[in-house]
Amino acid sequence: MWEQTDRVLRQAATRIGDHVADFLPGALVALVLMLGAVIVATVVRVVLGRALRGLEFDRRAERLGIGALAGWPAVSLSETVALVAYWTILILGLLLGLTALNATIPSRLADAVFGYLPHLIAALMILIIGAIAARFFARSVLIGAVNMQIHSARLLSLAVKWLVLLVSVAMALDHLGIGRSVLLLAFAIFFGGIVLAASLAIGLGARDAVGRAIERQLRDPPRGDDHVNHV
Amino acid sequence: MASTGSSSSAEKAGAPALSADVVVALTSHNDVRTIAAAVRAATAGLSRAGGAGPVCLVLADGGSTDGTREAARAAAGAGGLVEAAFEPASPLGELPYHGLPGRAAALRAVLRIADQAGARACVVIDARIDGVAPDWVERLVAPVLADGIDYVSPYYTRHAGEGALTRGIVYPMFRALYGVRLRQPAATEFGCSRGLVAHFLEQDFWELDHAAAGIDLRLAEAAVAGGFRAGEVELGVRRVAPRGTPVDLSTTITQVVGALFADLEARVDVWQRVRGSVALPVFGPAAPQAGDAPPVHVDSLLDSFRLGYRELREIWTWILPPRTIVELRRLTEMAPDRFRFDDRLWAGIVYDFAVGYTLRVMAREQLLRSLTPLYSGWLASFVRDAGAVENAGAIDEAAERVCLAFEAEKRHLISRWRWPERLR
Repeated sequence: MWEQTDRVLRQAATRIGDHVADFLPGALVALVLMLGAVIVATVVRVVLGRALRGLEFDRRAERLGIGALAGWPAVSLSETVALVAYWTILILGLLLGLTALNATIPSRLADAVFGYLPHLIAALMILIIGAIAARFFARSVLIGAVNMQIHSARLLSLAVKWLVLLVSVAMALDHLGIGRSVLLLAFAIFFGGIVLAASLAIGLGARDAVGRAIERQLRDPPRGDDHVNHV
Repeated sequence: MASTGSSSSAEKAGAPALSADVVVALTSHNDVRTIAAAVRAATAGLSRAGGAGPVCLVLADGGSTDGTREAARAAAGAGGLVEAAFEPASPLGELPYHGLPGRAAALRAVLRIADQAGARACVVIDARIDGVAPDWVERLVAPVLADGIDYVSPYYTRHAGEGALTRGIVYPMFRALYGVRLRQPAATEFGCSRGLVAHFLEQDFWELDHAAAGIDLRLAEAAVAGGFRAGEVELGVRRVAPRGTPVDLSTTITQVVGALFADLEARVDVWQRVRGSVALPVFGPAAPQAGDAPPVHVDSLLDSFRLGYRELREIWTWILPPRTIVELRRLTEMAPDRFRFDDRLWAGIVYDFAVGYTLRVMAREQLLRSLTPLYSGWLASFVRDAGAVENAGAIDEAAERVCLAFEAEKRHLISRWRWPERLR
C-alpha cells in the first residue's frame, strides 16, 4: 500500500518536475522578451518624441489637418504618436512572450492579433488620409466660396469637412469589420435623409427664392466680377 | 509683301527653308471676329517695317473651331501666311486668362520659325485684339532694328481699374526684383531681337506645368534677367475681344501671380543682388485716354475684402506675420469712405505670399486663391485714389507710389527669404 502510494507520488512529482522543466525556459524567454519590449518601447517613445518635436511635427500636422488625431487636448500629437508606438511595442512584446510559453490559448490569441494588425494599420492610414483630405477640401471650398462672395462659406466648408471625415471613419470601421450592416444602414439613412430634407426645403420652402437666384445668375454678372481686364 | 513662306505648316517635310528679316506672328484661338483685320494690319505693317528685306507673317493658332484659320488664310491671300505647327493644348484643362490654351507651345513654335529664318526681329501680336493698327508692327520692330533694343514691350493707355493686377502686383514686384521699370511685363505682344529669340529657346520653362498661362511674364523675366536691353513702345489703347467665358479673378491671380512667384525661386541669384530700378527707353508718343472707364464696384470689392478677412484670417495667419493681421483688422473696421490700403502694407503682404508660396506653407493654388480678397481690398483703395481723378498722370502717380513701396520693402522679402522663421 505504502509502496504504491510512494510510487504514485514519485510519478506525480516527476511529471510536475518535467512540466516545470518544460515551462521554465519558455517563461524565462517570455520574461526576457517582455523586458526587452519594455526597454525598446521606452527608448522608442523617448527618441520618437524628441525627433517629432525637433521636426515640428505638431505644427506641420496641424496644417495638414491631422492635429485632431491627438488622443486628448492636453496631449500633443507628437506625444500621442510616441505613446501609441510605446504601447504597440509593449503589446507586441507581451504577445510574443505568450507565444514563447507554448500555451495553446495565448498562442492563438497572439496569432489572431498578429493577423488583425495589417487591418488596424490600414484603418489608421485611411483615417489619416481622410483627415488630410477633409482639411484640404474644406479649405478649398472655404477659399472658393469666399472668392464667390458666398456669406455662408464657413458652413459649406464645415459640411464638406465632416462629410469627408465621416466617410473615412466609416471606411476605416468597415475595413476593421466592425458593424458593417449597421454602418451601411446608418449611412443610407443619413445621406438619404439629408438629400430628402434638402429637396423638401427647396421644393416647399424656397422654390421662389431659388428661381429668382437662378434667374439673377443668368441675367447679371457675378458679384465682384466687373468684366475688367485685370492683367 | 515679300513673303517667303508658303501657306502651309512650317514644319512639313519638304517645305522650303524660310529666310526673313522680320517675322510677325499672330497668336489666335477662336478669333474669327478679329483675325482678318489683324492679318491685314500685320501685312500692311510688315511691308513698311521690313523695308526691302524678306518678311514673314506667321499664324500660331491653338486649334480654333470657328473658322479662324480659314479667315486668316483668306485675308492673307495665297502664299502670304506661314502656319506654325505645334500641338494644341487639351481643351479639357483650365482656360488660361489670355484665352489661348497651349500659348507656350504656340510661342515656342513661332520663335523656332524666327530662329530658323534668321530673322533680325520677331514680333508677336495677340489676334484677339480688336483694332490692331498697321503701325504697331512698325513700332515694335523699329527699336530692335534701329536702336539695338532686344526686348520691346508694349505700353497701353489704360483706366485705373484696368490692368490692376499688373499695376498692383506684377509691375511693382517685377521692377523691385529685376531693377527695370517694365510697366506691362505680362503683355501678350512683344518684339525681340535674334539674340533674344535664341535665348528664349534655350530656357527650360517651356515644358513646365502651367507654363502656358504665365509664359509672357516668364519671357519678360528671361529677357531682363539675361541682361538683354529692354525698351517700351507706346501703343495706345488695347481693346480685347473676349475669348469664350472670361476666366474668374481668382484663377487669373493664380496663373499670373503664380508665374511671377515661380520665377522668384528660379532666379534667386539674380534678384537678391538687384537694388533700386532704372527707367527704360520709351518709344513713340504717349496716347491719350480713350473710351469710358469700365465700371469698378468699389463697395463690392470692399465686401469681398471684409468677407475674406472674416473667413480666411486663420489661413492668412500661416502666411502673414501677426502685425499684418492686426493692420488688416484695422482696415476692416474702417468706414468705407476712409478706407485706404497702405502701399507698404500691400507690398509686405505680396512678399509674404511669395515666401509662403516658396515654402509651400499650404497647397500653392489655395495660397494664391486666398490672395483674392486682399487684392480686392487693395484695388478698392487704388481705384478710390487714382480713379477719382481718372487721368493718366494721377494713375501713373498712384502706381509709382506702389512701386516705391515694393522697392522699399524688398529688404523684408530678402530677410524672410533667408530666415523665414526668424521673422514670424
